[in-house]
Amino acid sequence: MTDDVEVPPVPATGPRHQAPGDVGLVQAHDFVFDRTFAFKSGQTLPGFTLRYETYGTLNATRDNAVLICHALSGDHHCAGWHSADDRKPGWWNNLIGPGKAVDTRRFFVVCANVLGGCQGSTGPSSVDPATGRPYGSTFPFVTVRDMVYAQKLLLDHLGISGLHAAIGGSMGGMTALLTAIEFPTLVRRVVAMATTARESAQAIAFNEVGRQAIMQDPAWNHGDYPSDGGPRVGLAIARMMAHITYVSDASMDRKFGRRKKDTAAADAYTFDPQFEVEGYLRHQAQAFINRFDANSYLYISRALDQYDLAHAYGSLERAFAPVQAESLVVGFASDWLFPPEQNRALALALLRAGKQASYAELATDLGHDSFLLESEELYGLVRGFLEREAVAFDFAI
Amino acid sequence: MSQRIEKRTVDMRIIGEWVEPKTRVLDLGCGRGELLDYLLQTKRADGVGVDLDLDRITACVRRGVTAYQGDMMAFLRAFPAQHFDRVILSRTVHELNQPAEVILEALRVGRALTVGFVNHGFWKNRWAALVQGRKLRNSVYTTEWAESRPANPLSIADFEDFCRAKEIRVTHRVHLLGDWKTPCPALPNLLAGYALYDLTR
Repeated sequence: MTDDVEVPPVPATGPRHQAPGDVGLVQAHDFVFDRTFAFKSGQTLPGFTLRYETYGTLNATRDNAVLICHALSGDHHCAGWHSADDRKPGWWNNLIGPGKAVDTRRFFVVCANVLGGCQGSTGPSSVDPATGRPYGSTFPFVTVRDMVYAQKLLLDHLGISGLHAAIGGSMGGMTALLTAIEFPTLVRRVVAMATTARESAQAIAFNEVGRQAIMQDPAWNHGDYPSDGGPRVGLAIARMMAHITYVSDASMDRKFGRRKKDTAAADAYTFDPQFEVEGYLRHQAQAFINRFDANSYLYISRALDQYDLAHAYGSLERAFAPVQAESLVVGFASDWLFPPEQNRALALALLRAGKQASYAELATDLGHDSFLLESEELYGLVRGFLEREAVAFDFAI
Repeated sequence: MSQRIEKRTVDMRIIGEWVEPKTRVLDLGCGRGELLDYLLQTKRADGVGVDLDLDRITACVRRGVTAYQGDMMAFLRAFPAQHFDRVILSRTVHELNQPAEVILEALRVGRALTVGFVNHGFWKNRWAALVQGRKLRNSVYTTEWAESRPANPLSIADFEDFCRAKEIRVTHRVHLLGDWKTPCPALPNLLAGYALYDLTR
């Protein structure tokens, strides 16, 4: 997903984080698991840390928890503000908060940075206690399944044995669904948006170009680079390209068209950025390399490529056989990374497996990142699915 | 209840009697999920609806009815034979592009197919066409031509012919008079306002 988080307008009175519907100032916590953790690959870690945030209150029966699962470049900070001076709130602030679609007055929201990530959870940029240096390429190969199992340990730690819902878009949708597959009694509802049971060749191809950009940067050095260095050029190029796959032709055209940068007026015959879209991508890339670790990008994008429910379980129907949750799958018409057909396929396979699964499709033109969109239609769906408002028989057509 | 609302319940009453408890039901053209909701509540049916419109799907999801947004032919083709105990086409057949194709496919994925439709051979409809010479408007079809969805109206005689030609077995047929309540004693294509059929292969 892109970093284009919807920034709420400054309220008439008071600071933004105190605006109605905002969870306000939030704080990250660390869950430290201090026993050996075995990855699917067979490799192990002596322990790990997951950084997470929670909003709202866990009720006495401990059954109102909603797990939010983030995408490739997302993190645990999905709503609220870390300080009053923050430029942007958490990445799904428009969906989560008091009175919002995921209503923190009703639900206890949990969101953790994935294992293998770089925003506080243990990943390739963490220090290997055995060497005193970052793991780099010696970090175990991470799968989405490993992320799910690590996250389950966090939920155990929080005393949550039943989730009201697991919600995620893109990789988060994979994580949410896999949680319902691997821990059927844990998950009562799944909302999976803009996701897939397995990436297409095109999506793998894009990931591979991103990885090559990183690995061909000499500063990558086979994954061995200092915490203040690394393949910044490669990571920036990977991000620029990936960013394009998260949006759409129509949305880029609307946002930039062929508008020129002010500074480009003088001389068109250079390779300096002339079009606004070029400057925008460069700016996005710079912002990204300052917050994201290149090795994490390699590991997580590889985890995405390897995710293949049909292959892992024999067939999609067999993968979904243990699921007890009701699912809501949401596709977006303009998503060409994980297109509607791939989302439909999930819902249809769940139905074939005899599960309750709804499919809805939004006709937005914002591409893959549509799941982050400010959309009353999307809010209505998610809220309706989570809250099951009792509707009287109205017979309206 | 207005006459229009009362007429909406006809499928619930009749189809509700035909649906076996706790069976797997597919409602093609499920609208806002009223019928499935009713079958869920009264028959504990395991239901899923299909519709094209996001608002209707959202309405289903809000009331706890499982629903799929998309093309019904593509949906049907994604299921093995006899996956559903019953497929329902409640006041939907007249809006299908390829009714024969959908009905035959529905009979493949469903052990039974229930079809409910307005009989355009009903004498009042014939009379209205004869006297007014306009697009039919009444308590069921309330909109004028320019505000209406495309429709492919059918009569009981059309449907009977179709079932015979395709060798579809009719296990139940219910013909109701213009009030959609009173059983039609004779000449259904002329006297019945609404028809319900239960079909198998």
